[in-house]
Amino acid sequence: MSTPSTHITAEAGSSLQTVLVVEDEVLIRLVIADYLRECGYRVHEAVNAEEAVAILESPEVSVDVVFSDVEMPGSMDGFGLARWVRANKPGTQVILTSGAERSADIAATLCEAGPLLEKPYPSQDVVDRIKQLTAKAKRF
Amino acid sequence: MRERTASGARMNAASVTALPRRTPPSILVVEGDARVRCLVSDELRGSGFKVLEAGSADEALAVLDAVRIELLFIALDLPGSTNGAEMARHLGARQRAMRVILASAEPDRPGDPGLDDLGPLIRKPYLASQVVDLVMRSLNWPDPP
Repeated sequence: MSTPSTHITAEAGSSLQTVLVVEDEVLIRLVIADYLRECGYRVHEAVNAEEAVAILESPEVSVDVVFSDVEMPGSMDGFGLARWVRANKPGTQVILTSGAERSADIAATLCEAGPLLEKPYPSQDVVDRIKQLTAKAKRF
Repeated sequence: MRERTASGARMNAASVTALPRRTPPSILVVEGDARVRCLVSDELRGSGFKVLEAGSADEALAVLDAVRIELLFIALDLPGSTNGAEMARHLGARQRAMRVILASAEPDRPGDPGLDDLGPLIRKPYLASQVVDLVMRSLNWPDPP
């Protein structure tokens, strides 16, 4: 499918940090994406991990933090996406979220920031985690 | 010509244009290609619109049930059981007040009175800036001074 032959002019040189929200429940995605925008982040949205990879591979888009659900339909779940990001976009931070306790245990090994955010999460906790991760990344 | 307001303050053209405008219109971008959706939505946000995103007709319906949308920008070639054309027809009957812009991946798509009456059609590949222009014209936004 063809893409618009344009690019996001604000992306280059913008000081806004960019967050990619990956969530298959549209109303959850809408709420957290809206909240993050109000907090001053540029936010892109993906319905599943495959869409997230397409956005991350897009030359027009630069992503600082991926905030992803673990349980998603499709061939790749949130863990798979986290592994893909580690392998292909090492400068991009990952935060996972899940409603399942078992996933929370496994994700601790994948996320630098410790255990993942359990659903339901307060929106402010997401912002706090993003700030922690991006501050940590700047120190390296 | 200057006029005095009830409070005695002088009122002129400059003070009128400085008044806050109405809340930016909400636009729902429904597009199955995440990169296209991302670029179009970002360009619209950069122009001051409030933009919500949906990747399928089912997602769009969930958003429309929860949020008041003033303009629907919908691709006709959506993935899933309901394509954009079917959804646009459904919504045309349901929400007459909402403006609709259709996006087609078929360069030679024949006219369809059932769809063409809903709103303008833009053909892919398009520039995101062309979408913004079309949206601004459809919504008469920003308000003329």
